[in-house]
Amino acid sequence: MATYNKLTPELIEQLKAAAPGHLYTGEDVNEDYSHDEMPIYGKQMPDALLMATSTEEIAAVMKICNDNLIPVTPRGAGTGLAGGCVPVLGGVVIDTTKMKKILSYDLENFTVTIQPGVLLQELADDCQRQGYLYPPDPGEKLATVGGNVSTNAGGMRAVKYGTTRDYVLAMKVVLPTGEITKFGAAVSKTSSGYSLLNLMIGSEGTLGIITELTLKIIPAPKKVISLVIPFEDLESAISTVPLIKKANLGPQALEFMEREIVLSSERYIGRSVFPQVIDGVTAGAYLLVTFDGEDEDELLDLVEKTSDLVLEQGALDVLVADSPAKIKDAWAARSSFLEAIEAETKLLDECDVVVPCNQIASFLTFAKQYGEECGLIIKSFGHAGDGNLHIYQCSNDLPEEEFKARVDKYFHTLYDHAVQCGGQVSGEHGIGRGKVKYLIESVGETNMALMEGIKKVFDPNMILNPGKVCYTL
Amino acid sequence: MEILVCMKQVPDDSVEIRLGKDGQPDLSQAESQGNAFDTYALEMAVRYIEANGGAVTVLTVGTEDDKACLRNSLSVGAAKVVLVEGSGTDAAGTAALLAGGIKKLEAENGAAFDMVFCGRESTDYIGGEVGEILAETLKRPFVTDVVEVEPADAKVVVKKELESGYLKVESPIPSVFTIAKPNYDPRYPSVKSKIAARRAKIPTVAQSELALEDGALNAKVSHKAFLEPPKREAGVLVKEADAATAVAKALEILAADKVL
Repeated sequence: MATYNKLTPELIEQLKAAAPGHLYTGEDVNEDYSHDEMPIYGKQMPDALLMATSTEEIAAVMKICNDNLIPVTPRGAGTGLAGGCVPVLGGVVIDTTKMKKILSYDLENFTVTIQPGVLLQELADDCQRQGYLYPPDPGEKLATVGGNVSTNAGGMRAVKYGTTRDYVLAMKVVLPTGEITKFGAAVSKTSSGYSLLNLMIGSEGTLGIITELTLKIIPAPKKVISLVIPFEDLESAISTVPLIKKANLGPQALEFMEREIVLSSERYIGRSVFPQVIDGVTAGAYLLVTFDGEDEDELLDLVEKTSDLVLEQGALDVLVADSPAKIKDAWAARSSFLEAIEAETKLLDECDVVVPCNQIASFLTFAKQYGEECGLIIKSFGHAGDGNLHIYQCSNDLPEEEFKARVDKYFHTLYDHAVQCGGQVSGEHGIGRGKVKYLIESVGETNMALMEGIKKVFDPNMILNPGKVCYTL
Repeated sequence: MEILVCMKQVPDDSVEIRLGKDGQPDLSQAESQGNAFDTYALEMAVRYIEANGGAVTVLTVGTEDDKACLRNSLSVGAAKVVLVEGSGTDAAGTAALLAGGIKKLEAENGAAFDMVFCGRESTDYIGGEVGEILAETLKRPFVTDVVEVEPADAKVVVKKELESGYLKVESPIPSVFTIAKPNYDPRYPSVKSKIAARRAKIPTVAQSELALEDGALNAKVSHKAFLEPPKREAGVLVKEADAATAVAKALEILAADKVL
């Protein structure tokens, strides 16, 4: 393990001088900075907090920390699910949420330039006001866009539009040494050496701190329609997914959810949106499908084709969410799954494994059966269109240590099974602190050594976000 | 039982509406949809006739663009829909057009609608007046804020929402009710009903076909300007070493600003 130093009063004074009025220590640092939304991976308070306001300020603080071997952990809104922003060795946390300006639009080249602390919801709303769409749509709308880029967040619209990576054109970065550089350019294509831009995307704050982003946007579709499609069981629901894709219907989102999690969510939001019983048959699973386009007629043609296709495959009904209020209600239930599970669960952990689409149903069957064997409650939902599954392990009665031990056993087997199916450990949440050992088992030592080598090139002193993604402490 | 539901098409109320340069609300980013309380009224009416028999008719005052909410009504259980062409310049004008449309339909049917449902208010102007004026114009019994309707011989018993509880009221029919949020949500149309509604022809009644009293559409009130709410001022952070000092400081600020 690299050598680190503790912050001394003298160093704190140096940091305060580098960021006047923006460096906090002791009781001025809120407990929230010790964890993200998955505290089960461990908590740790930082010794100091920088509420950053500029690239230069971050660069100055980084340089002091690098020169003095002080660990630094970057942080957005703290909505991560893998412990990526937890300062496991203390040191300095650099919070970018005050850097929240939407700097400029270039509507001739379809780009927007922002600071990293802009929230996803703010960016989406602002683009919409201009008549444009920023397509990445992760469920957590209060995440920062900088955080989304750092985990290559995916979201509901990935099936049509791809993930965050597909919309990042350029970025300004402070390297762990304190140097300021730019990666990428606001162009449509490039063949100009190694893509340092793409190394940064998904690196979870281990290679540099993003301080500015230029993102691609598209003209906003004029009309959106969602379908709620109940099925008797999950297998029937998932079996229609390749057919929908093969028919070239082009859904913007294609989500699956099982009955139990829908009921939890509806209890949580206090509304009943999804039909429970259709012609005497209890719905065991649902697909939630969204189409976008230029006008209602175009969409209704797609809806009719989809309806014919899924009804032939055993769908119990096809319901249309065709007004803003109905679409909002249908997606409110979907968007509240995590909160709904949290509200009804004392202990939980999650894996966001990704498998080939045709493996979803069999993988989930395995996940549930093995969960039962391990004595864990399993709740699942996910992106049927891209094979990214959110599988939650829950318990209301196990002691925490016993729960952690069972989940660890469960994860080893589940991730191993995912790899055998041709899948990967994380589809969109990242590796952070919680999933490093499973990544090692998944990709092997050669690939891990390459990743750690890349990390050392960017960060010779290994001070930036230690113990995350590519190595353990 | 024949139920008529009054439906207004309004801008999506989840979109923040700002004033444009012309001082009018800029609705360019807000898609239109049926007023939420009117959709509750329609769902309540459809549930009633599913349980007790009858039919639901939906009436909208507006233009060609407003036919969308009537098509949506057909897809979730309305048997018949009608567009009355026109625009009320105020709540009384809208009520006059609705009353004119209702009377025309009743004359054609040869009987009054047993119940007329209006949403308690629209989510755009939130006036909450049309139902009341309509009841007065039609000279029919009237109950506000209804969340449940049950048959009772030749009458109905309605559950009315109060500030802190409910009141059960027996009402003769024909009558007019404004509908509040019941404990269920409007249903989603099936694709089949949606496609059928898409192809349906929407009957339209011209204003000239209505038997309106002279001056019925003359505005009683008119709005002079739209004003945006004042921007919220930044708060004051009281930060002291202990709670007692912090409270004392907060009281001092409140007293200085003459809040206390």
